[in-house]
Formats: sequence, C-alpha cells, structure tokens
Amino acid sequence: MSSPSAVATSPWILEVRDVKKSYENGTIEALRGVSLGIAAGDFLAITGASGSGKSTLLHLLGGLDTPTEGTVLFRGQRIGKSSGSGNGGVASIDLDTYRASSAGFIFQSFHLLPSLNALENVQVPMLGTGSHPRDREDRARALLVELGLEPRLHQYPTQLSAGERQRVAIARALVNEPKVLLADEPTGNLDSVNSAKILEILAQIQARHGTTLIMVTHDLSIAATAHRHVAMRDGRICN
Amino acid sequence: MRLTFVGFAWRNVWRRRLRTALTLCGIGMGIGAFVALVGFSRSFEHAWLEMYQNSGTDLAVVQKTFLNTSVDQSAGAVLAGIPQIRIAAPMIINMMAVTPEINTLVYGWKADTFEFAALNILQGRRFRDGQQEAMLGELLASSLNKKVGDKIDLQGSEFTVVGIFRSGSALETGAIILPIDEMQNLSSMTGKVTAFHVQLKPAPPGVTAAQWKQEAEDAVEKDLPGLRAVPAAERASNNQLVVLAHAAAWGTSLIALLVAALGIANTMAMSVFERTKEIGVLRAMGWSRHRVMFLILMEAAALGAAGGATGMLLGWAALHVLATLPQTASIVSTALPLMTFLDGLLMAVLVGVLAGAVPAWRGARLSPVEALRHE
Repeated sequence: MSSPSAVATSPWILEVRDVKKSYENGTIEALRGVSLGIAAGDFLAITGASGSGKSTLLHLLGGLDTPTEGTVLFRGQRIGKSSGSGNGGVASIDLDTYRASSAGFIFQSFHLLPSLNALENVQVPMLGTGSHPRDREDRARALLVELGLEPRLHQYPTQLSAGERQRVAIARALVNEPKVLLADEPTGNLDSVNSAKILEILAQIQARHGTTLIMVTHDLSIAATAHRHVAMRDGRICN
Repeated sequence: MRLTFVGFAWRNVWRRRLRTALTLCGIGMGIGAFVALVGFSRSFEHAWLEMYQNSGTDLAVVQKTFLNTSVDQSAGAVLAGIPQIRIAAPMIINMMAVTPEINTLVYGWKADTFEFAALNILQGRRFRDGQQEAMLGELLASSLNKKVGDKIDLQGSEFTVVGIFRSGSALETGAIILPIDEMQNLSSMTGKVTAFHVQLKPAPPGVTAAQWKQEAEDAVEKDLPGLRAVPAAERASNNQLVVLAHAAAWGTSLIALLVAALGIANTMAMSVFERTKEIGVLRAMGWSRHRVMFLILMEAAALGAAGGATGMLLGWAALHVLATLPQTASIVSTALPLMTFLDGLLMAVLVGVLAGAVPAWRGARLSPVEALRHE
C-alpha cells in the first residue's frame, strides 16, 4: 500500500486497486478484481453489456458506494473511510465530502426535482452549505446561460425537452466545480440530434476546464469519441 | 425567487396539496382541541383569579383534603378571633341545572359579605338572608330571559329574582347568587360551607404584606387543625374545579395531539417513500445524511407549524362558539391567554419534529445507490 508521500506523486486523479464488489452476502459478484488508473483531464468511456459491472464501477469511482474489497483513491486519498490518516498510512476522504466537492453526476433519466424550475434545480447541490442565496443563484444562472438555457431558466422539468433537461442536469453536476464528472448513459434517453449536442457539451467542458470525464455507455460509437475506452465483461476489464 | 433551504422544504411539503391539506386538517383539529380546551381551562383559572382580586379576597380557608371540601361554619367564629383577619366571609359554590340544557354556577353568600363590592347591581337590589331571593348575573339573566320580579326554579325550590348584576369575572356574570342559608338547604350542607373568603387587616408598620399574610396562614392552621389558608392567587389555580378542568383539558388534548402526530408521521413516511429516488439524487450530489435528515425534519416541522396555525384559528373559533352557547357561556371566557397560543405553536412544531424523526432517520440512512435504483 502506498505511503502518503508516495501517493502525492501518483499520476492518477482516480485509481482503483484490485476492487471487488459483491451483493447479497457474496452471491452476486458485480466486480471481480478491477484495477484502473485515470489521469486528471482524461476522458474515459466504460462500455459493456448489461450486468458487466460498468455502472457498479462508476458508482465506486463517484463515491456512491464502497468496494467489498480493494481501494478507490482520489488524488491518493482513499475514498469512503473516515477522514484522517488512520487507514494504513493512506489519507482518506469521506464519501459525502468527496461527492460534494469533487464529483458531479449526470444520469440517464436526468433526475431533476419536479417541484423546482431549472434555475432552482441547479442550486440544490449548494443548499445547506452556508453559501449565500444570491451567490447560489448567480452561479446557477451563469452555468445555464453557458449551456444555452437562458430563455428556459424558470421552466419546470415537465416544460423542458429531454435535451434541455439533460443540459440542466449537466449544469447541476457542474455547479460545485467538480474535478471529476461521471455520466451514466447520458444520451440514453435522447434522440441523435440531442445526443450529439450533449456529447459536444461534455467534450467542451472536459477540454475547457480540464475536468476528468468518465462516461458509461453501451454505444461504441460514443465510446470512440473518448480518449480512452475500457470494456467490461463479467465484472472484469477485458481490454 | 431565490431558493432557500426552508423554501425547498416547504415546496416538498406543498407538492402533494391534497394530502398536505388533509394532514393540516388533522393537525389543526389536534392543536385546535389543545387551544380550545387548555385555553378554556386557563381562562377558567384566570376568571377565578379575577373574581378574588375584584372582591379583595386575600385568603381562602378550605379543607386540607381535596375531595372533602366542606368546612364547619362554626370555624367562622375562630377566624374572627385571629388578629390578622379583618373579616371572614363564609361561601358555598355549587353547580346546578336551571333548565334541562343550562347548568350554571350557584354561589351562597351572606347578604353583607364584602364580596358584593366587586358587583355592579344593574337592576333591583341585594337579596336578604333567610329569604328565597336570588340575584342573577346579566349574561345568565339574558340567556334565561329573566328580569327582576321573575321566578326561578332551583332544585324544586322557587326563588324570586331580586337583582341583576354585572361582574368583571366570567364566573359571576353567568352565575346565580343566593343567600348562604338558602344555599345550605338546597345543597344539604346545613352548618357547612365550601370555604371562607378572608380579608386581612392592613399590615402593621415594620411588617411586610407577605409576612403578615404568612402569619395569618400560620394562625389559621394552628387554631383550626384540618383547615388551611390559601392565598387567593393560589386558590384560583388549585381549587378542585380548576384542577379537574386542567387535567381534563390536557388529557384530551394529548390524545388529540397524538392523533395529529400519527397523521404527520404517516404523511412524512409516505413522502419519504415516494421520494426515495430523489433522496438518492440529493445524496449523489453530496448531501450528507445529516442534511437529508434535517430537510425531512424541517418539512415535518413546517407541516406542524402550518397545522398549528390552522389549529389556533379553529380553537379560537371554538371558544367563541362556546362562549355564545347558553349551556357553556357561564364558564367560558373568550379571553385566550397569549401563552396558550405560544404553547400551541411550540407543541405543533414539536409534534411535527417528533413525528418526522423516524421517517427522517429512514430517509437519511438510504444508500444512494439503492435509492437511485428505487422504482
């Protein structure tokens, strides 16, 4: 296991080391020993058939879940243990802190809150953080304007097209300035025109801000636009 | 409009308008019952205090026991001999039916008691001892449509109305006052009274009023074992009628509040279940378990507060209705103490938070991945 000083020189922003994940008392093995390093600013596509373990890997990389065995490291810090450095010499970061400050999620079904309009939906990650309401609104507005949604700021999710909803979801994922953007089939519910637009936006964000982009997709043509492509089968990386 | 944490909580509550409205009705009924019942019992206590204060009563001499409330009238002679006491007026209080629908407080007083000082006789005159004569509070006289010279039947005995009076206390303005000897006959209390209302002499120089009163209390207990002298303010809050009214009010209110709490708990549990996926999204966006829990608790508290406000209006309206009904007008005052409103609001928020605690805990412990998979 790396020491903190060794970790500081790690080339990876995210690293998984021999990670296993099982469910239902080990009867279902979703990941069977996965190791992977992702460099800062990388654009990684993860593909695989349904049940291959690609979404489980994304959840571990995004701090939504913890591995049954192995470790996930963000900038050399172990994700998912209590804060401090009492984990065999490896500093750690707790899941909530990691998700709030370093990771942004984009889902296939957008998951916007129906009672809030576009502008309010984007502010939700910042609620309860002590930030000023005016600052929150300004930040959300700027992101939505950047994503071409200025005329739709006060529309509710049901009043937006699928492509617009996904753009609102992207703005929400970006609002806390994450270092890592994790997208789970972000174009899965979109037509080809909107899919292309969303992929273009994601590529622009990755290029402009140097955000690390990790995208799960079953579409190999989309995966081909990524810098790197990892294919999964039966809980293992197979390429 | 800028999104705030509180605003977000309220939007979540108001999303299911019908369910929220029905829950508010439930909480409103509970808090309304609390405001009406506890408000009634507190205003009842306040009316007693007013009655004592208006008449200038310093002490009430009563039995030490709670249920056996009669005192030998002969104790009056002993009281008259206690140096601190200026006058000790025997009195009886009871409740009687004046019509099949209307029960009212009936007092037995001596014709020369100092307590008449608090009354303003609007028509007629004071009664005479030993005569079947009655004085009616103006509210009761109006309800019964009685005037001076009319007859009134009490427990089979006919009394002539000789006076109509006004009083600052709700307990008197809807009541009847009879000569104490007639009241003893009606109540089968010959030689007995409910209490002596005592006025003290002015404290001598060098003795404080409190010391003077304490000396009088000690003298009563020394000279009349089995009896105790209670300051008027204390008597107002711990006489049998007030104690029973408080107990009944709080008991009934707590049951109503429990029902309201179950309503909130049910609503919040449903809400958390329906929003499982949303909670997963919040957790994915970095919301901690504590922040999710706080949000749900705030929603429950908002529901409680809104229900509390509804309940206060209902309770206030109920008191006003009761105050106009002839059956209850004599013992209900619409003057609702501010404390009852504050207690009601606090109680509503507390009930909301307690009822929301379990749903909040369940919501907060959801794993983000499991919550996002929820259908």
